[in-house]
Amino acid sequence: MLTLQQPRLEAGDQEFVDQVITDRKGRPGALLGILEAVQERHPNKYLPMATLDYIAAKTGVPLSRVFSVATFYSLFNLKPQGDNTICICRGTACHTRGSRNLLQSARLSLGLGLDDISEEDKILLTTPDGRFTVRTVACFGQCALAPVVEVNHKIRGHVNERTLQREIETIERESE
Amino acid sequence: MPNKKLSIRIDGALVDAYEGQTILQAARAGGKYIPTLCDLEGITPVGGCRICMVEVEGIDRVMAACTSPVQEGMSVKTTTPRLTQHRRLTVELLLVERNHTCAVCVSNGHCELQTMATNLGVSTVRLAYNFPKLETDLSHPKYVLDHNRCILCTRCVRVCSELEGAHVWNLTSRGINTRLVADLNGKWGDSKGCTSCGKCVQACPTGALADKGRAVEEMVKQNDRISALAMRRGAEA
Repeated sequence: MLTLQQPRLEAGDQEFVDQVITDRKGRPGALLGILEAVQERHPNKYLPMATLDYIAAKTGVPLSRVFSVATFYSLFNLKPQGDNTICICRGTACHTRGSRNLLQSARLSLGLGLDDISEEDKILLTTPDGRFTVRTVACFGQCALAPVVEVNHKIRGHVNERTLQREIETIERESE
Repeated sequence: MPNKKLSIRIDGALVDAYEGQTILQAARAGGKYIPTLCDLEGITPVGGCRICMVEVEGIDRVMAACTSPVQEGMSVKTTTPRLTQHRRLTVELLLVERNHTCAVCVSNGHCELQTMATNLGVSTVRLAYNFPKLETDLSHPKYVLDHNRCILCTRCVRVCSELEGAHVWNLTSRGINTRLVADLNGKWGDSKGCTSCGKCVQACPTGALADKGRAVEEMVKQNDRISALAMRRGAEA
């Protein structure tokens, strides 16, 4: 057996991760629960590479499997998330009701530009100051309210560019 | 043989099968050919490539022969116009998805995807090519990973985890964005788990994993060695 160097985390973090792993030991699908709990605790709601490395070493799950699970589910983030999340639905119903325009106007008004990622891709952009994250989702299941935007985990229906703009301004004012 | 003997029909001919066998295993034992891409004898079947689809009498939908178990009295058809159409489309979609440029590929002439396309008469594709911009990982001292040739059959993933026990490979993301990754999306050459055994290279059906330094058409794969090793391991266990 190869003895690989044990990765380390900061003391408080490591204690928490150890506890989460011990709580779920032996349960089928434990990895999902571990990743979810660890991400939830992080102030920027994401899973740093060092954490994934540590979880893999601690649980004995191969690194590639940990990475595979963390990238398969859109729930998990590998990049730090902004303080406020604007999640725009790109499902068919929302698309026909103009969600592309909503996405573009949100990106433009937050200074995220339009050209860096192709339109088909899953979009996940965070402003450099870390205040906003704009992301897309395939469908919220709220097609009757199309186009739907989720602002800080609250669903807004029948959104147009102006109401979305107002939401953003409200958040900007509140967080100042 | 402790397992119950069953009798099934493959393309009308009676074939002996044993309980627990898959349709593909029974067909091979009975000398019947079912085309496959992701299957490799000795490692766990996943039913990923959908080339081995067969028709079973009484069931409307087509089934993957490599993962469907045999049942007493079942009648299987391995070549019908519907299946051929289905297989052709599957191969076309595989060719469209990445940059399979046979003329400059190390596996040209020894490639299972190329052979499959030739056998099925796929000389052109009816869909637009995707032309993704994909990387080639040259970081390993002995081998090369070219994502452009990968068909995501996961043979390398399974061989590495089941036979070598290193589990360096896995797939990341979903759908069209799915890629093969080593460890935490690192360079293959940086992987601490990789033993450089080369089993993934020999198992790969295309030119995605190849020996370094091979020129076009030089990479002859020896995946019968993988199967032989798997059999030996199976006999020991």
